Amino acid sequence: MNTDTLVKQLCDLNAPAGCENLSAEKLKSFFEPLCDKAYVDPFFNVIGYKKGTSKNPKKIIITAHFDQIGMIVSGFEKGGFLRISNLGGIDTKALLASEVIVHGREEVFGVIGAKPPHLLKEDETKKNVKMTGLFIDTGFPDDILKQKVSIGDPVTMLAPVVTLKNGCIAGKSLDNRTGVAALVLILKELQNMKHPNDIYVIATVQEETGLLGAITSSYSLEPDLAVVIDVCHGDMPEADRSQCFPLNKGIPVAIGPAFHSEYTDALFEVAKRERIPTQRCIEPGNPGTEAWAIQVSRFGIPTVEACIPLRYMHTTAELVSLKDIEAVATLVARYVSEDIIKTTEETF
Amino acid sequence: MISLIRELAGAYGPSGREEEIRNLIEQKISSKVDEIYTDTLGNLIAVKKGSENGKRIMLAAHMDEIGLVASYIDDKGFIRVSNIGGINPYVAIGQRVQFQNGITGCVCYEENITDFKDLKLDRMYIDIGANSREITSECVMPGDIAVFCGETIEQNTRFISKALDDRIGCAILIKLIEQMGDCPNEVIFVFTVQEEVGLRGAGPAAFDIKPDIAVAVDVTGTGDTPECKPLAIELGKGPTVMIKDSRTISHPIVKNALIECAEKNNIPYQLEVMSVGGNDAGTIHTAAGGIPAGAVSIPCRYLHRPCEMVDKNDALNAVKLLDAFIKMP
Repeated sequence: MNTDTLVKQLCDLNAPAGCENLSAEKLKSFFEPLCDKAYVDPFFNVIGYKKGTSKNPKKIIITAHFDQIGMIVSGFEKGGFLRISNLGGIDTKALLASEVIVHGREEVFGVIGAKPPHLLKEDETKKNVKMTGLFIDTGFPDDILKQKVSIGDPVTMLAPVVTLKNGCIAGKSLDNRTGVAALVLILKELQNMKHPNDIYVIATVQEETGLLGAITSSYSLEPDLAVVIDVCHGDMPEADRSQCFPLNKGIPVAIGPAFHSEYTDALFEVAKRERIPTQRCIEPGNPGTEAWAIQVSRFGIPTVEACIPLRYMHTTAELVSLKDIEAVATLVARYVSEDIIKTTEETF
Repeated sequence: MISLIRELAGAYGPSGREEEIRNLIEQKISSKVDEIYTDTLGNLIAVKKGSENGKRIMLAAHMDEIGLVASYIDDKGFIRVSNIGGINPYVAIGQRVQFQNGITGCVCYEENITDFKDLKLDRMYIDIGANSREITSECVMPGDIAVFCGETIEQNTRFISKALDDRIGCAILIKLIEQMGDCPNEVIFVFTVQEEVGLRGAGPAAFDIKPDIAVAVDVTGTGDTPECKPLAIELGKGPTVMIKDSRTISHPIVKNALIECAEKNNIPYQLEVMSVGGNDAGTIHTAAGGIPAGAVSIPCRYLHRPCEMVDKNDALNAVKLLDAFIKMP
């Protein structure tokens, strides 16, 4: 399976934050043929374990969250409309006139209504769009709708991933199924490599709503080193250059207080040796990724992060380069297969 | 039930100063549980052992209430304040407040405020009727915390009082302890501290107890008052089973079990989807590698005001719902 197909299949999975149980088993089947053991934990984190060759293996985890931003039904309005609340950071402007699927007793197609420009009052055109002003129109009358849908049912966007020119793809949930695709590619690379340490790839839950999967899995597995793979902002016109990274120009590696400086240096060294281009992604505080939670789990866990540049984050038009996904996978696979863990007596 | 609620809601207990309310609850339940102790942070933990090799279930209700902490006493004896938990300055205007030693004051604002958009707590003060720093200092020290006054009344099946957030939850757990009888599962009742300042007590308690599942019992907002934001929760339509709030998305095991219990026993219930606010489940579910958690809430109007209002039947139905839940095989 090529990377394009892999990413598309992963993006087709429905796993809005907190509702990952919809897809955890399916995701497990991507890991299963490539590792010694694959399992779903009580919080629906999907974990693939690959045993190391060392007599005293250390433990490395590689995390990429598989939840996606979404919505949840919060109430009914007369006329067959559904009120919604957000799951994760949704830009309400980007929701207007979207097509959605409500995951009720059956899947129900709907559209998010928007008042046409003709009917907008002047002050309304200047106001921000509020979640409480949005609703889903399913076309069903009230009584039938209530048989199909109940409060608390998750809602996902309908926007299949499409292939663009020059190795780019665009669509929904590329944040962070591209990272999950990298996990699968890492497992593939490890098939042909000897690695001393035990490696756990973890597709984590509820990153978008508070890093739950990273918190629970890093505590449970008690790793010696954690590698986080997540998306960062791709470059685009009119955006802050310091926070955006060009596509196909190297893997952004995170630098900052959340990341272990010596293990990060080691990551840059592996990249240099393997001739994999990198970029320096400066995160002066909370990076907003799983690293922030994993770093302070238990007694503290050394954490590093490699990113995939992605444009138009948290919209249905997210855009990435397939080459970046493959490069991050190669880099992290080489990195974790090294005898990299230092004991406390050793120094770098 | 009104006398129990009056006693609980009337007890002093802002976040970090829960001794009085904790002693009251301990005195009410100590003879009815198998084990009772207070942990390092001040959480009161009461254990009812299971009759079989069942699950270990944690139920948590927070004891603490919001308050105003004295930060500075000026020359004229006026007390400057800071908030303990979510205090809206507009709500505080003109309220009577009481310190632990019974000293009562009025919350007022600087007269030169012309635009109320500028009203913040740092332009407000407590007046206890003293006219010098010396006199005030005899009874109030910086660091002392005052809580709203607001007596408890029952009217039209509704309770109105200060601190129903979350003394109504404490009352529900106490009622449950009294009437539950034998239970296959071990139930650990936790009356938590410092929920109002960031869910601080529940996480460490859950870490220590490591239950199989947990349910927070708290209050939630409603969408049934004039011109309020749309919210599908009403007073008197039953306790809510939380789907999500801003801190937690309920674990499906807990959520589904609660819904099943309500359906099987014909207990009215509502589903709660909140985008703001959080309860103790928020820190319980991330403790010790994760504990599947959810919440049962009592719909409550006028949250964090001295006139919080809940429906008696919602509280009674919450007792029934939790009773069925803890007895699930």
